[in-house]
Amino acid sequence: MTNTLHRQGTSESLENDYVIFAHTAKGVTREGSAPKLQEFMRICLKYHPVNIGDGKQGNIHQDDVDIHKLIMNQGDGAGAAAVFTDLNTLQKVIEELIKADLGISINISGLLDGVQKCCRNAKIERHSVEHSLGFWGAKDRLPEREILEFNTMCGHGMVSFNLIRKMIEYVKLRRLTPKKAAKIMAKCCECGVFNPTRAEIILEKIKTGQR
Amino acid sequence: MEIDKKKCVGCGNCHAVCTMGVIYLDEDGKSVVNQDECVECNTCYRVCRSEGYRPWVVRGIRKLLSVFRLGYLAELDVCPTGALTPVQLEWPRNVRALFSDPTTVHPGTGVPGRGTDEIKTNDVTGRLRNGEAGLVVEIGRPGTGAFFRDIEKIAMALAELKPHFEKENPITQLMANPDTGKIKEDILNEKVLSAIIEMKIALERIPEFLHTLEKIQKEVDTVISVGIASKCLADGTIPHEVWVRKTGYAVSLNGKTNIGLGRPLFRED
Repeated sequence: MTNTLHRQGTSESLENDYVIFAHTAKGVTREGSAPKLQEFMRICLKYHPVNIGDGKQGNIHQDDVDIHKLIMNQGDGAGAAAVFTDLNTLQKVIEELIKADLGISINISGLLDGVQKCCRNAKIERHSVEHSLGFWGAKDRLPEREILEFNTMCGHGMVSFNLIRKMIEYVKLRRLTPKKAAKIMAKCCECGVFNPTRAEIILEKIKTGQR
Repeated sequence: MEIDKKKCVGCGNCHAVCTMGVIYLDEDGKSVVNQDECVECNTCYRVCRSEGYRPWVVRGIRKLLSVFRLGYLAELDVCPTGALTPVQLEWPRNVRALFSDPTTVHPGTGVPGRGTDEIKTNDVTGRLRNGEAGLVVEIGRPGTGAFFRDIEKIAMALAELKPHFEKENPITQLMANPDTGKIKEDILNEKVLSAIIEMKIALERIPEFLHTLEKIQKEVDTVISVGIASKCLADGTIPHEVWVRKTGYAVSLNGKTNIGLGRPLFRED
């Protein structure tokens, strides 16, 4: 999955956007991973992520999702994810994960220099890195930049261009607050990697004509 | 996805939520799904929770309000009457859901989503080793979707360069012949939200693959998201960066980092 790789935005906007996820490998670390994934989620939760969830059970912005139940019901699986909005908190989460020594793979999507700095501060060196080489093909079919910024915050592309347009329109008309609109978008992203705080900031700027 | 016309009140909430924008209002004022273009992602069903109202009540209220030129501003993430109806899919249409609905786990990969673990578990699997790069070509993303006939064009162009297609990847498993990149005939007209071709190549072959992709991208009517990965050197240097730059492309400021906490760590002999 390349799911969190292609997040779009200025470096200023991406400074508020770090997705940390635990991932298990079938036949290597998946079997018996349930307590490790649960512990990963507990550690993340302690630092107040703006989103957290997994692909099977959904995320905290969806109706009827209770995070404590979600963690309790976490079985052996592919993984779980949480979103943070600053490097200081991310640093603390990494340090606690190193201490916990869960033995499952941990990945972070975000500004690469910032993530590397966090790793070095925690006395570890990064293992592997993936870059986006951007969008190719029929780019004339793509919408404007703001819409792509929202859309790419869900790695599976579940926040439709039309919903984003509608949310922007409703925020401009003050039918919805940026917070409520961001929450509706976050609800579409099953795995919990959408960043509603960053979305709210962008919507707030759009609302006041700054973008 | 289907919409039960006996229940639909034509509120249009599901239209905006649809990832492909293929739900529309029919002549009778009720919503309908363009089945050729629907990718069976089920987002409309998951996001628009049913309020469970009786259709005649909702229709009556809407009619009454319209007499006074009034409208009812309902919540945006609801289906007032629960008209959205997922259907049991059979081959080959079920391929759409396998690639488009992230809650569906691919039987072959054991991973929900459209690809495999890639570098996410590289610290324990050693999938990408020193001197190798992982090239990831996601067709249909963002937001446009792709037919397998387009995916096949790209797979066949890349197959000519004899890459090592990731064997657990769902697209590789749907190839009739991985040597040619030919996709199984019966799914060519199926559409998905996106699909990922994953391959492993030697670092020095990056230019060759990117040039090929550069040419073939003009022959498909969809967008492609391209990613490239490698295992870092002991000092954290990213080996593929220099090859990408040499080819004339820029790498993103952001990306994905496997921080190497998986155990036991894979060791190259």
